[in-house]
Order: sequence, then structure tokens, then C-alpha cells
Amino acid sequence: MSEHMIEVERVGRTFRDVAALTDVDLRVPRGTVLGLLGHNGAGKTTLVNILTTVLPPSTGTARVAGYDVTRQSHLVRQQIGLTGQFATVDEQLTGAENLILIARLLGATRREARARADELLELFDLGPAAQRKASTYSGGMRRRLDLATSLVGHPSVVFLDEPTTGLDPASRIGLWEIVEGLVDDGTTILLTTQYLEEADRLADSITVLSAGKVVAAGTAGELKAQVGQRTVTVAMTSAEETALALAALRGAGLQPVPDDKHLAVTAPVATSRHLAAAVRALDDAGVDFGELSLHEPTLDDVYLALTHRDAA
Amino acid sequence: MPTATATPPRTTSTPPTRRTWSGTSLPNQVLVLTGRSLRALRDPRMLVMSLLTPMIMLLLFSQVFRSIAHTPGFPTGVNYIDYLLPAILVTTATQAALTSGVGLANDLRNGVLSRFRALPIRMVSVLFARSFYDLTRSAVQLVLLLMAAALLFGYAPGGGILGSAAALALAIAVGWGLGWAFLALGAWLRTVEVMQTVGFVAIFPLMFASSAYVPIASLPGWLQAVAKVNPLTYAIDAARGLALGTPTLGPIAGALLTSAVITVIGSSLAARGIRRP
Repeated sequence: MSEHMIEVERVGRTFRDVAALTDVDLRVPRGTVLGLLGHNGAGKTTLVNILTTVLPPSTGTARVAGYDVTRQSHLVRQQIGLTGQFATVDEQLTGAENLILIARLLGATRREARARADELLELFDLGPAAQRKASTYSGGMRRRLDLATSLVGHPSVVFLDEPTTGLDPASRIGLWEIVEGLVDDGTTILLTTQYLEEADRLADSITVLSAGKVVAAGTAGELKAQVGQRTVTVAMTSAEETALALAALRGAGLQPVPDDKHLAVTAPVATSRHLAAAVRALDDAGVDFGELSLHEPTLDDVYLALTHRDAA
Repeated sequence: MPTATATPPRTTSTPPTRRTWSGTSLPNQVLVLTGRSLRALRDPRMLVMSLLTPMIMLLLFSQVFRSIAHTPGFPTGVNYIDYLLPAILVTTATQAALTSGVGLANDLRNGVLSRFRALPIRMVSVLFARSFYDLTRSAVQLVLLLMAAALLFGYAPGGGILGSAAALALAIAVGWGLGWAFLALGAWLRTVEVMQTVGFVAIFPLMFASSAYVPIASLPGWLQAVAKVNPLTYAIDAARGLALGTPTLGPIAGALLTSAVITVIGSSLAARGIRRP
């Protein structure tokens, strides 16, 4: 029996009469990353707020680290770390003071708090800026300090609400590496994001939210297979070869489409058997092609397909 | 996970201080949070700025209303500055109370407190810390004001140092009590601009429809009626009585009682308000 650190059952939340979440179900096994995908207003932050005990659910139940978020909220809070969508560092305090404050609030002694702060400052490359007020930090530094703050108490479950929004590519990759390090240490992570690349890289499983409902769930591969279509693109050397290739591929039972602009032919290949057939047919016909490439559907394709289908 | 193999080796797998802290007592939470706020007092500019308004009030009123000391109803043999300063102590403490609520609203809006909601702490500790911080700030501010008045404006009331100290203590107590009303407002309204407007509308008329600057007897009839029921009048009369060496029990009891009632109602409303997500 696998142990789930986050269990959400039929959770709903309404604000006045507006439903922000409807019957959401999800489970996150220990030491894995769940990517919660959806655009603005899909309900990602509402779900994070419910799971971090900030907001009670209107319906359903949610358990984090085995504790009920409504009835055992204090116990849940001892287990979690939260990095919200907007950096919540105290600008009047230095980086070190921000971390020490949280450690002291968690019950660390002065000495323990200082040691933990030093550790995190080093891990997040904030050592040189430790004694500077957070108001002087750049956006990337603030984000890192914010994430460091949420890790002070060695949480077993970490919630990251759009952690890389507004970060430059270098900072984003740095943050990804930190997240991967946490997972290696056995931390369970729920990550919300609008970036499919981010979910693709970090998440073991992905749940897609649209208008407060789960519209798809599974691994990145499963989601892609569910809606996406693999295509093969064959780059041609001349118009005559293109005609030859079209005929050969049709003969193999595929539906090739000429791409005159790029002097190429593309054809959907649902299975690897289709791909093998395509290569064999081209070879048998003696087609002289320049390059053959396989295009996997991206999560963008998946995401657009799912959310559009939902809206329609 | 496809990227697991690409992850660079981490040095963090077993941090030396790895242990779980499961929280701390409410008094300790309050202590830590008060310490956090008190760090703001490291910046002397904050204190100078907060003294600016009362100093200007002191300067203007002591000059503009100087002749009031010769009007009927004014206590004989009392300098206007000695009459005025206890009132300024009370009104300054009142404005400090408003600052308290505005500060809380600001904290609630800019997200600093949103992290606290997911921590194993009680949100009321945030209120207590804010309140104790403002109490300290207000005390420092009023002591400096008192010293400036004595040195620069020749403030030397009949009650002596003890009388002035008692007036100061009363002003702080009244300001602290009123602070809870504004903390409650701040916890519910959560917008700095609205807080400032509400505060201005609530405080300004109360300051003038009182015995702060002129004897009540010299006010128009309808204003006298307002001034007599204005709780600020109690506080001002009480502080003035103490400073001038003519304390009367009525206003002192009235001021402290009103303050206590506001504290009880305000703190319970504030505690309820701040727990709202």
C-alpha cells in the first residue's frame, strides 16, 4: 500500500455563489511531485489555500501528511511549507532575519535558528546578501528567500504556487534544481504552474484544472498520448522526390501532407508500427530524403486541447 | 521522473540541524513577533517623523490660542502650554492608535502575514505583537514630546514631574485601549486608504469637539453637548487634572473604564477578523 502525503476527495469551494473548485480528487504519493496545471482562475491557488489550511473547503475532505486540513489544521501546519504566488518576505528585515524569525516562531532556539538560517542562505546562494534588507533584493533573490523561508522547518510536504512566475531563465533553472534536490530528500511537492515545460520537467504526475474542475490527470506521457498525435516529418531534397515520397507513404497506408514551403512531407504516426512502415516505404521507393524527424506532442498541445474541449 | 538522473549531487541530503520544530507557546510567539516589529525602531527617522505632527500642533496651538488663557472659563493662574500639553499627549496617543490599525491593514495586504497563516502559530499573537509594539512606540514618542515641551516651550505644570508622569501613563493607557478598536477595524477592512479615512473622520471631530484646546464652556451650545459625552474629553480632563496637580476621580475613572471596554470589545473583534483568510 503506497502512502499518500496529499489526499483530496471531492473537494469543492464556493465564494458566495461562485464555484471556484468542484469535486476535485487527487492523491500524491510520498516523495513525488504533483504538477497542478491550469491558467489564471482555474482554481490552483484556491486548492493550495485549502491544502495549507488557509481556507476551509466548502465540501469534501482533504488530508495532508495524514491529517485532516479542517479538523487537524494545527498538525497539518507543522508538516508543510508554503511558497505563495507572491513573495511574502518581510522587506524591513534582512534575509537572515527573515529566516530566523520563522525558525523562532516554529520553536527553534536562537542558536538553532541562526544555524538553520545560515544553512539555507548558503543553499540558496544568498550568503553574500544575508545581512541586507530584503527590500534591496532582486526578484529572483526574493523568490529564493521566499522558498528558503518555507523550508525552515524541514517540511515533509511543500506547496509551491507558481514558484517561477516572473523569474529569468537562469533563476528558473536554479529553482528547478532546488526542487529536484528536495524530492531526492524525500519531500513531497505540489507545484502549480502555467508553464508546461516546468510540469514536464519536475512533475511525476500532472493534474490539469480548468474552471475549478479536474479535466485530466496522469503522467506527462499519458496526457500526451491521450490527446496528442505523433507526427513524422521528412525533409526532401527536391520537388520530384516530394511527389515520390507522398506516393510511397500513401502506399504504406499513411496520410501524408506536403509542406511545400519547407520542402518536406509530414504524416501522423499513431504507433511505432506506423513509423516503421513509413521508413520502410520510403526506403523501398528509393526516396532520397534529407532528414527524418519525429515530433512528440508537447504539453502545450495537450493543455490547449483539454482546456478548449472543456470550454466548448 | 525523467530528469532525476540529470540532477547534480546535492549536499543537503542530511542537514546537520535536521530536526522538526513543532511550534512554540503563545507568549513566545508574541515575544518573537514583537521583537520583529521593534526592529523598525532601529531607524531613528521613524521616531523623528512621528514627533513632527505633535510638535507642529504644540507650536501652532501654543501661539495661536495663547489668548485663550485670558478668556472666561479658563482656569486662573494656568499657562496655556501647561493646559495644552496634557491634551496633546492624549491626542497624540489617539493618533498612534490609528497608526496601529493602519499598520496592521498594511501587513495584511502586502502579504507578510499570509505566510503566518500556514505556520503552526496562532494569529492572535500577531495582534498582541502589533499592540505591544505600538505601546512601546507610543511611550517613547510621548516621553520625547514631554521632554521637548519642557525644554523648548517652558512646560512646567503644577503637578510636577509625578503629575506629568501620571498624565503620560494615562494617555498611553487610553491610546493602547483605543488601539484595539483600530486593530479590529484594520483586521476587517484591510485597506490602508479606507482605514486612514475612517480614522480621520472618527478622530478629528473628536479631537476638536472636546476640552483639548479650549474650555468646554467657550464652545457653542450644541458642540458643548457633544464634547460632554465625548470619551476623549474624559481622557483629556483626566490627564490635565493629573498634570496640573488637581486630579479628579471622575474623569480618570471614566477614561480608564471607557478604555477597558474598548479593549475588550476591540480585541475580540480583532481576533475574529484576523482569523479570516
